[in-house]
Amino acid sequence: MRIKVVLHYLGLLIAIVGLSMLLPLAWSLYYREPDSLAFAISTGISVVSGLLLWRLTAVGEGRLSRREAIMLVAGGWILASAFGTLPYVLAGTFSNYLDAFFETMSGFTTTGATVFDPVVNSIESQPHGILLWRSLTQWLGGMGIITLFVALFPILGIGAAHLVEVEMPGPQAERLTARIRDTAKALWFLYLGFSVLEFISLWVAKMPVFDALAVTFSTMPTGGFTPTSLSIGAYNSPLIEGIIIFFMMVAGVNFGLYYFLLWKRQPGRFFSNSEFRLYIALLIGACLFIVLNLTMSGVESIGEAFRYSSFQAVSIMTTTGFVTANFNVWPAFARSALLILMIIGASAGSTGGALKVTRLLVLAKYAYRRILLFFNPRAVIPLKVGGNTLSERVVSGIIGMSILYFATLIVGFLVMSALGLDHVTALSSVAATLGNVGPGLGLVGPTANYLCIPALGKVVLIVCMLVGRLELFTILVLLTPSFWKWR
Amino acid sequence: MYIIIVGGGVVGFHIASLLAEEEQEVVVVEQSEEVLENIRQLDVKTILGNAATPKVLREAEAHRADLTVAVTGSDETNMLTCFIAKELGASTTAARIRNPEYSGYFVTSGKSPSAPRKVIRPKSLGIDVFINPEVEAAKEIMSILSSFYSTPIESFANGLVQIREFKVEKGTIVDKPLGDIAFPKPCVVAAIIRAGGIIMPSAGELIKQDDRIYLVASREHMDELGERFAQPQRPAKSVVILGGGRVGFLVAEGLQRRGVLVKVVEGNINRCQEIAAKLEGAAVVQGDGTDRDFLIEQGVPSADAFVATTESDELNILCGLLAKNLGVSRSLILVNKLGYIPLAEAVGVDVAASPSLLTARKIAHFVLHGGAISAALLGGKQLQAVEFVTSPTAHVAQRKIIEAGLPKESIVGAIIHNDRVIIPPDDSVVQPGDHVIIISPLPVTPSVEKLFK
Repeated sequence: MRIKVVLHYLGLLIAIVGLSMLLPLAWSLYYREPDSLAFAISTGISVVSGLLLWRLTAVGEGRLSRREAIMLVAGGWILASAFGTLPYVLAGTFSNYLDAFFETMSGFTTTGATVFDPVVNSIESQPHGILLWRSLTQWLGGMGIITLFVALFPILGIGAAHLVEVEMPGPQAERLTARIRDTAKALWFLYLGFSVLEFISLWVAKMPVFDALAVTFSTMPTGGFTPTSLSIGAYNSPLIEGIIIFFMMVAGVNFGLYYFLLWKRQPGRFFSNSEFRLYIALLIGACLFIVLNLTMSGVESIGEAFRYSSFQAVSIMTTTGFVTANFNVWPAFARSALLILMIIGASAGSTGGALKVTRLLVLAKYAYRRILLFFNPRAVIPLKVGGNTLSERVVSGIIGMSILYFATLIVGFLVMSALGLDHVTALSSVAATLGNVGPGLGLVGPTANYLCIPALGKVVLIVCMLVGRLELFTILVLLTPSFWKWR
Repeated sequence: MYIIIVGGGVVGFHIASLLAEEEQEVVVVEQSEEVLENIRQLDVKTILGNAATPKVLREAEAHRADLTVAVTGSDETNMLTCFIAKELGASTTAARIRNPEYSGYFVTSGKSPSAPRKVIRPKSLGIDVFINPEVEAAKEIMSILSSFYSTPIESFANGLVQIREFKVEKGTIVDKPLGDIAFPKPCVVAAIIRAGGIIMPSAGELIKQDDRIYLVASREHMDELGERFAQPQRPAKSVVILGGGRVGFLVAEGLQRRGVLVKVVEGNINRCQEIAAKLEGAAVVQGDGTDRDFLIEQGVPSADAFVATTESDELNILCGLLAKNLGVSRSLILVNKLGYIPLAEAVGVDVAASPSLLTARKIAHFVLHGGAISAALLGGKQLQAVEFVTSPTAHVAQRKIIEAGLPKESIVGAIIHNDRVIIPPDDSVVQPGDHVIIISPLPVTPSVEKLFK
């Protein structure tokens, strides 16, 4: 492995993170707030150290190997988060570095779990620059910083295919175009386009301009940070909620499908996609059952039940984590349903997190095939998704990934319990960070935050967020001895 | 350009990697999941499926393909793929056709009424270009055997200009700067290949033993210029060919037609009988090519050249080396795995012709860039020599070529003005209609192309 080549590109990546801080800097200068100095210094530090690293290391010949690509993606995410903490640290937003790092990682991984205390250190008391930076980290992380990097720079050449594959969520990164750089460009273009649409819609729906920008920056990546302590509930507007529900659903669909719908004009390919259909069916089903549960247990009237359950089901399943109702006080069934949606997550190739609908589909079909094979062991039953037979290799990859996902969930649950948290908090905190959702249940519920988690627990959750965003393997492979041997 | 490559074998992979490096839009269609897995490391789109079906070709968007290249292992699949692609609206198609029966039908018509007529015509099948890797390899081997130097030639401008690789063998020029070599005739040094890497030539560059030098010159001057670097050898008059496969057979047949004494060594007795029946007058012997005593007995040490053409790369390298060791002046071998070529050259085997590389070269001729009419790959696959025709509106027209703003990595080899070769071309003004030969690294070629449009 050529460490120097990896460092060379990491330098450039850090410089991009530094440059992106110019946007919050502009806002804080506009409002003449004290955090502008913190942003100016952090931009300077990031850009200078990034460019220094870039200049000092030589770029080698030839394509990036798979191992180098993994190092670059894993290193890129960790370093981006490390440099992303600079504004919080310099502005003195948090009392300790761990909290700053938690908030940044929660941003880049689009989790949206916050450690702002609503009483002592409320979100509303923060300067605009800091609030915008929170949301911007999510926007950058949503479609992937590495994918953005590939779209921007032609320098990576042939190795770029590995990079995008390693970063993209989903079992198989679909090639939309012949050149991976064009795919990355198309994805970012779609992402940007939807973001502009959402911003305009929110602005038309009379949301303040700054809030509209910040909320857009955290809806499209299915992030969840808002510039208010009460999340979207603070605006108390059914119209705004409707707009956000629509764009959350948009963000939870495989972006490749939009490419076929809008570029290739193949609506059939969009609407007949089996993952898309299951995704919509699950959303509608979950929503209806929660409405039924809420109305029958007398918590909400039917109208309110529809309004809140649809918002919460979409918000949790797309792993956004916006809140309009305190679902912590909902009956047991509704809470369990949300916890399950938290684990299933959005579509592969979307900006959402967690296990992904397509994996659920394959797992279900695999289990059914096992049942059929029990009475006729010699039957040959191909596993089909959307008319295409999946190769056993892909199936085995999906099963392996799912096992690891649940294993991580269980280990995290045990560790959090060992730290003295109750069952509901322990399990939901791990599920919510591993799936990049944000709010969980119990102590980390929709109206609470992650400040109460002990330091070690925060470290575990930070790891969960990163591992969840990069779909386990990229980070877990770094822990295997054989990755480091044979270089 | 949008290019569909059907078949991801050695040739398909090679062409795909070449085109991806040139930043063309490439799609590879392949039936085997495992083979496709290997292709995915390239920056190309991949489609799993049988390309000889309209469904798969439609998915590959054959209707907008500028070039469809079918290089699967099966001739029939390749022909059918081209046919369907053409029906769907593909513009240019190329197929690899190995069976001489098919390709024979394509080129020659029957002489007597009873002889088979051209039943299969390439146009009616929608094939614009057909490539036979074995024939290309055999042609290459024969052209080397019939010339003074053991290195390949690329021809441009209807053969007026050649680019030829020479290996530095003479001690008198070693460790001297390039600028100090007095060339007897005008020529341009296009590149120096040292230890597998390319060095852009400059007057101060010291020449080392075993460097490979690419020279651009007009055809009649080439042999004389070559003497500066290498010892000329007389064209082969007696040749021992190891392996009676397709390439071996074609070489034997071709050489025999030129009056060269040919002996074919083949291990399989059935194949021996088969080719002995077809090659009247050539000696066909059955035996093991790695057996030293057997090769001596068959007169290998006194032969002018030894050509190893078996299916196995390892066997070819080993036997080529053995023949060299026995005292053959020229030892040519066939290599399929590209990674073996530098190795084979390093151990002292003269030239390693590779059918897949030759096919890729032939394809490169047809991936024509805008005004380009001929193209060749040099130095493995790192450099490309392209012959451009200057259009009246081109950026370079009416300008001195050195002031035309070519990328600094490019070298102008020659200008051909009304069939008059101008070498070196630095000071001459390019007129519309002039042919210009430019040597540049693959990624730069598209930007050179723009200057001539």
